Amino acid sequence: MLMDEKNRVILFICLAVLAFAFLLPLATGQNAYYLTVLILMVIFIIFASAWNFLTYSGQGSLGHAAFFGIGGYISALVAMKSGLTPYLTIFFGGAGAALTGLFIGAICVRMKEWFLAMVTFGFAVIIQVLVASQFREITGGWDGIAAPPLISSSVPNYLLYEYYSILVIAVAVLLLFRYILQSKTGLAFSAIRENELEARAAGIDPVRYKLFAFMVSAFFAGLAGALEIHYLGYITPEIFGVDISFWPIIYSISGGLGTLAGPVIGTIVITLLWDGLQSLGLTYPRFIIIGVILVLVVIFLPRGLVSLPGEIRKRAPGWMAWVHKRIPR
Amino acid sequence: MEIGLDIFLQVVVWGLYAGCIYILLATGLNLIFGVMKVVNFAHGQLLMIGAYVTFSFFVLTGFNPYVLLAASVPILIILGVSIERLCFRPIMGTGKLNEIFISIGLIYILENVAAMIWTDEWKVIKSPFEAITVTVGSMKIPVDYIIIIITTAVTLVALYLFLKKSRLGLAVRATSQNRKAAMLVGINVERMDMLSFGIGAGLAGAAGTLWVVSGQVFNPYMGSVPAVKAFAIVIIGGLGSIPGAIIGGLLLGIAENFTVFTIGGAWKDAIAFLILIIVLVLKPTGLFGEKAE
Amino acid sequence: MKLQYAFLLIAIVVIGAFLSGCTQQQASTASGQALKIGVVASMTGPSSTTGKDVWQSAELAADEINAKGGVYVKELGKSVPIVLVQGDDESTREGGQKAVSRMLTQDNVDMLVGGFSSAVVSAHQSMVAEHNVPYIITGASTPVITRRTDVNTSFMFHHAPTTDDSGSQTTLFIDEGIRPAINEKFGYSADRPLRLAVLYQDSPYGKGHLEAVKNTISNSSLNIKVVAEESFKMGESDFRTALTSIKSADPDVVYVAAFLNEQIPIETQAMRDVDLKKIFIAIEPNDDPDFYKGVGKYGEYSIIQSRFSPYTVPKGPTEAATKKFVTDFDKKYGGFPGMMGVATYEGVYIGAKAVENAGTLNKLAVRNAIADLQMPQMVEAMKGQTINFSRDFRESKFDLTMEQLIWDPAVNETRPKIVSPQNLKETGFVLPDWFVPAKA
Repeated sequence: MLMDEKNRVILFICLAVLAFAFLLPLATGQNAYYLTVLILMVIFIIFASAWNFLTYSGQGSLGHAAFFGIGGYISALVAMKSGLTPYLTIFFGGAGAALTGLFIGAICVRMKEWFLAMVTFGFAVIIQVLVASQFREITGGWDGIAAPPLISSSVPNYLLYEYYSILVIAVAVLLLFRYILQSKTGLAFSAIRENELEARAAGIDPVRYKLFAFMVSAFFAGLAGALEIHYLGYITPEIFGVDISFWPIIYSISGGLGTLAGPVIGTIVITLLWDGLQSLGLTYPRFIIIGVILVLVVIFLPRGLVSLPGEIRKRAPGWMAWVHKRIPR
Repeated sequence: MEIGLDIFLQVVVWGLYAGCIYILLATGLNLIFGVMKVVNFAHGQLLMIGAYVTFSFFVLTGFNPYVLLAASVPILIILGVSIERLCFRPIMGTGKLNEIFISIGLIYILENVAAMIWTDEWKVIKSPFEAITVTVGSMKIPVDYIIIIITTAVTLVALYLFLKKSRLGLAVRATSQNRKAAMLVGINVERMDMLSFGIGAGLAGAAGTLWVVSGQVFNPYMGSVPAVKAFAIVIIGGLGSIPGAIIGGLLLGIAENFTVFTIGGAWKDAIAFLILIIVLVLKPTGLFGEKAE
Repeated sequence: MKLQYAFLLIAIVVIGAFLSGCTQQQASTASGQALKIGVVASMTGPSSTTGKDVWQSAELAADEINAKGGVYVKELGKSVPIVLVQGDDESTREGGQKAVSRMLTQDNVDMLVGGFSSAVVSAHQSMVAEHNVPYIITGASTPVITRRTDVNTSFMFHHAPTTDDSGSQTTLFIDEGIRPAINEKFGYSADRPLRLAVLYQDSPYGKGHLEAVKNTISNSSLNIKVVAEESFKMGESDFRTALTSIKSADPDVVYVAAFLNEQIPIETQAMRDVDLKKIFIAIEPNDDPDFYKGVGKYGEYSIIQSRFSPYTVPKGPTEAATKKFVTDFDKKYGGFPGMMGVATYEGVYIGAKAVENAGTLNKLAVRNAIADLQMPQMVEAMKGQTINFSRDFRESKFDLTMEQLIWDPAVNETRPKIVSPQNLKETGFVLPDWFVPAKA
């Protein structure tokens, strides 16, 4: 009964957030700045959720920019050469990223923690060099290539429609993740994450599931990358930069690892904070504040901001008692 | 391309010199890992702070920058101990990736604090021995490089003696081998954590001073590349193996320089990771690594 | 349960409201009362050193114009002041997109100036194209910027030397200035080809220079042979092996396409460690006090291309303006503004002049006024002594000078002496005694 009520509340919250996300650009008169912030935010929600999906299987990555960038390049190239709409080519981008993910995953599947972190980080570096130097005939090298826009700018309100379509994709991705994680696969993931040996003993093939997780994560990271470059209209090898690898990690950690809502909330809170601090003129302190938040969250709120209300509820009586003791009556 | 013997030797010497910075970083990382089983990804930012500390003291006092090792190493030890106390101790024993996340936070904090203090203009100072070179065979080797190589070697020998001969060193090694057993025989393992983190940070500080002395330019963002490579070296050599770190460091220094010579400079950073991946595929514990957990 | 999620939702809404409040405050000045110029500058991130120069130089220009009463707009029948809006692109593509869209829609700027990294500029170009706001790009060395065909770049003007321009002028100097000097000094026949090595940053900037050098050699059939092409990663600090490789290719001249933080170790390591006794060439962004300080005596006799130098002022029409700009900047902010700074300073003046010519703040009219602009050169020497933008790709053409670094015992550093072009030169190019020509 309790669970039921909780689920209903969550559903209500999700719908409310969605309605808010849907109405916000209309309420602000389709202001291009808000749309820009929102579009980038939703794209990074997809990206951070894809990164987070990988952690369900007990793996991690410091080089997700590799998939983000590959998705972008493949989608841009396919769209340019074939003339197909980017709404189709982003799936080519995702598929290309997934294949790369399968390859990297196959190398990494037996590695743990730090090894995995370094190898994935290294792949992002190697792929940047490959794209910028070895394949410059097709990728345009450091000059980069133009990417067709999602919706032609001659269409009235094109930014609004781009935003809505990206929002729909994000919701679909999150629902898909939820479905996978609630299925048998999700159970297998958590078994592997908790104890790989026991999972094996229970007849779960960890290699298969880990590769699957890597592919799915890479696919949607690539999809997010493709969406971003079609939105921006241009792609250069800078897309493989370390900051692109780090952002989804920062968003997921601060929001809450291993929860679907974590990356969503983390992305929203951190990007708003980031732009808000910027408009307050805190240029360098902004990075320091984000760094401090990250450290504090890891130490004091290991389950991220999603657990904040619960923590407050848990500790509030104590605080109240503390306050009451000091208020003279 | 035809490679003559003199060019070959020259490239080896450049590799040796470049390897020194990596070795100091990698040894520190390895010591920390051995004792605490955590990895500090923000280690390169400690090198960067070491470089700026040296710079500031040089500008203030005008001392010979080599003497300033006496400033950068202690300051970095204090910084290292504080970071251990404030950031890493609270997460000991929690999730395995947590130290990576903490490190990302530390990277942002250290880089931007440095940018606020020292601005992010490129800085450079000159060694007093800059113009002096020693001729060895057909090569002219700047005396600074010889001092750097010797300083690194002396530091490593001192560390070795400390770990092998002193009681405290014994305790560090005991903690490194078996934390629980060390605790049982009465070793204060938390003090060992602080000690190893302090020494690791001190070595990074020394690397920072040597970086500055060799006439390299630096800014607040320069630390990450050497650190990531140092970490690759640690893994190539084997986590927890200090000889592995030294051999890995030299190997990478030389391999990088041959890459530049043959394939081209664009591949210089990528080669570290290519080697890393190849080594791990062939031998998942690294060249000198102990058995995986 | 209900309570905690409601709490979360409220928190999100509050943050959102707070932020929109913050950003909205900035758009207070009503349009028509001021000429609003958005300055795209990398105030944070790896390019922030340049970003500060850009922003401060723009401020200096705006203050100067406002002190003289502002910009006269005929349509309004009065002069309006310039109001600058800062857009920090954070040295990233996403940051640039946010900053530019904010300036375009929140602040409703009348034009944009600035822009540094090519990657960042190309990412926000389509946003600018949608809004048809004139954009005077004073950074981004790649010529691709105004030559893209997938977006409408007709409102974008490139006021910075492109790698094509800068590379070809340097290569021509090597052919006309250095090649004859070597042949003369060592008694070679006049048709001996000059052996050139190129050491370039693996980036649009470095690659652009390499291409420009090669194209200039083949298009003008120069008697120059490229004997080595070595690249390095941006931010590299150890060039010894690349230089050793260059040494084994035996060049006469080494053309380096690098930034300051790379140029200093390159020349130092070449002279001190690798014993590469050749003529080194540095490209225009390096002409900065930090370069002379960092490279010390190892820079002696090397060549540096320049459009604006801290230590030498080309005689002639730009002399007074240059001196004034450098002194004023130093007085106001302390230090030397740098190339991107001076181009942005001029960019604000270009914008002001175009508005005056157009007599309106209408963006299309201003755009056309920039396209038709014929404005006397200011600080940087321009081709034909006028700032105007080419019809085809809207690029202004710079007259770059070549300087040679000569040791000045008084300051214990080298100082530049202009050796080219003919009309500005202070001394002739000299080959140092230690120079060793290629054997082949």
